[in-house]
Amino acid sequence: MTENGAYSFLTARGLCKAYGGKASKRAMAVAGVDFDIGERAFTTLLGPSGCGKTTILRLIAGFEHPSAGELRLEGVSLAGVPPERRPVNTVFQSYALFPHLSVADNVAFSLKLRRSEGDIARKVAGALAAVHMAEYADRFPHELSGGQQQRVAVARAMIAEPRLLLLDEPLSALDRKMRLHLQGELKDLQRRLGIAFVYVTHDQEEAFALSDFIFVMNKGRIVQTGRPEDIYARPVNTFVADFIGGGVMVPAEVRQCAGASAWIATPLGLYEAPASPALNAASQAALVLRPEALLSCAASDAGAFAAVVSSVVFRGDRFTIGAEVGDLSLRFNSEVLLDVGARISLRLDPRKTFVTAVGD
Amino acid sequence: MRLLPTKPFSRASLAAPVAALIGLGAVVPMAMFLVISVYSVDFDSYTLQPNFTMASWREVWTHASYWILIGKTLNNGLLAVVMTAIVGYPLALALSRLPKSAKGAALVILLTPLYTGEIVRVYAWRLVLGQDGLVNALLMFAHVISEPLRFLLFSPFATHLALFYDDLPFMALALWVAVERVDSRLIEAARDLGCRPTTAFRLVILPLTGPGLAAGTFMVFALAGGEALAPNLLGGTTGATPMTMIDNLFGTAFDWPTASALALTLLLVLLFAAFLLSGLALVLSGGLRPLRRSFA
Repeated sequence: MTENGAYSFLTARGLCKAYGGKASKRAMAVAGVDFDIGERAFTTLLGPSGCGKTTILRLIAGFEHPSAGELRLEGVSLAGVPPERRPVNTVFQSYALFPHLSVADNVAFSLKLRRSEGDIARKVAGALAAVHMAEYADRFPHELSGGQQQRVAVARAMIAEPRLLLLDEPLSALDRKMRLHLQGELKDLQRRLGIAFVYVTHDQEEAFALSDFIFVMNKGRIVQTGRPEDIYARPVNTFVADFIGGGVMVPAEVRQCAGASAWIATPLGLYEAPASPALNAASQAALVLRPEALLSCAASDAGAFAAVVSSVVFRGDRFTIGAEVGDLSLRFNSEVLLDVGARISLRLDPRKTFVTAVGD
Repeated sequence: MRLLPTKPFSRASLAAPVAALIGLGAVVPMAMFLVISVYSVDFDSYTLQPNFTMASWREVWTHASYWILIGKTLNNGLLAVVMTAIVGYPLALALSRLPKSAKGAALVILLTPLYTGEIVRVYAWRLVLGQDGLVNALLMFAHVISEPLRFLLFSPFATHLALFYDDLPFMALALWVAVERVDSRLIEAARDLGCRPTTAFRLVILPLTGPGLAAGTFMVFALAGGEALAPNLLGGTTGATPMTMIDNLFGTAFDWPTASALALTLLLVLLFAAFLLSGLALVLSGGLRPLRRSFA
């Protein structure tokens, strides 16, 4: 069973992947990972480059073999099952379209291999229509833009009717506008197909926009799993907090823990704030201070502290203001333009902060 | 104001030295052979007579014995191409998957046989394939055979084996370069979409390396078809080639016109066959489309 109570479709237990020959020099790309993925869920592996997320995808696809541990699909071990016999298809980072085949032939590739019954041409036309590429059937991959190639890659993978679609940073090579557009299409497609998507990205915005579940990874391990909003609101440590939402990690000393909140002493004052339940008075802790938790206020307000504006970035609907408080560099959003060097007063809204463990 | 210096010469002019060399070393002699081929020989004074006659061309084109020899070289070339391609593909695939650090060493090992020199290799084959040679000795020792195999040396078998061995590096090199350029993710994509490894080879690697196969075919066919030494010294009575005939005509017989006509005929036939075979390799591998694309 997965955390949300759904039937576990894909299960990993103690999954490890080490590269390199000599034991002393071996690098653990995946260092003992457990997870459960639901049958219809959009799950994202999120982490910085080199965290092992792509390796996990390759283990699921069957391109790599685990050094230890195992993967089970619907309870059946995938050990020794070659890629071609897994009900899994992949959308590659660079799309990996066959350059010698037309768009239609690329998409028809798996159907022709299986000599599947029914009208291949009709199915191909349907798959191309689903990704809005119907009129490009006779083109060759090099004649398409990145976004178009990406759509063909998705059509080629999904026409094989996989139970699980793996997507390896499929949007990373595209410009921002195309990326946002295709995010919407992918999410829509996943809902319509009703199959599990496992998506790899290093872009937290993308992960938030798409995912039902996120696995945050670092150094070959899964650091935190959960719904996007839970991970954003309650990061288990400063690595996750920093990677997910940015913001500033303010050193904090835990004075008293009270269930879901804690009293902490920080350079900005004494606060009661939501806190990780794993914390205790001896913990190395930090207050996660994101822009939305900081408010400009009058110097006389309760809890106000003095700050100096150090930078101003125009964001269209708002300004992002950088402010120095002692040796802390904070950021907050402002609707009004402030001058660099201006002396202002700020206060923080403890309900929008979170106290978490220092660590990775 | 010009910021960039004017181009001192065009890119194409870089090819001029090679063009001059080819002109001097190949085109001019060929033209001379063409002229000599329509001369006649005065066998009393052993001098060439510059009077126009098609006699030597008629001689070459109407006598089956020349064409049997030409057919033999075509057969030598064709067999060498097929065998080197069959062995060369797995070899090229294996080489392409070596770690980068090992590739330099692999290249040296692949090319080392070429440094031994042809005569040395020919006599080495005699040691290996002869009646008392290594292969026979081993098979006798293992009681696989009771008397030496005679077809091993001074036979078509020996000729084809030597040609295959001599020319394998060229085919393997051409295929290696081609295989290196195939993105490994394309092979993974093929597997992902349901190909067994052999199907992935046929549907993805073969078409994408078709131009390499065609280049290797062209080289190996020319090398094996033009080879005289190995067939002569290893093929026994079966090892005669047009080269030996040309050698005899030029040297012993002083029949330069016939030798020239035969040499030019052989050149034309070999070239035509090499183009045909390379084209066939390109079409059969499915590599025609990728090639067109790369020039598009």
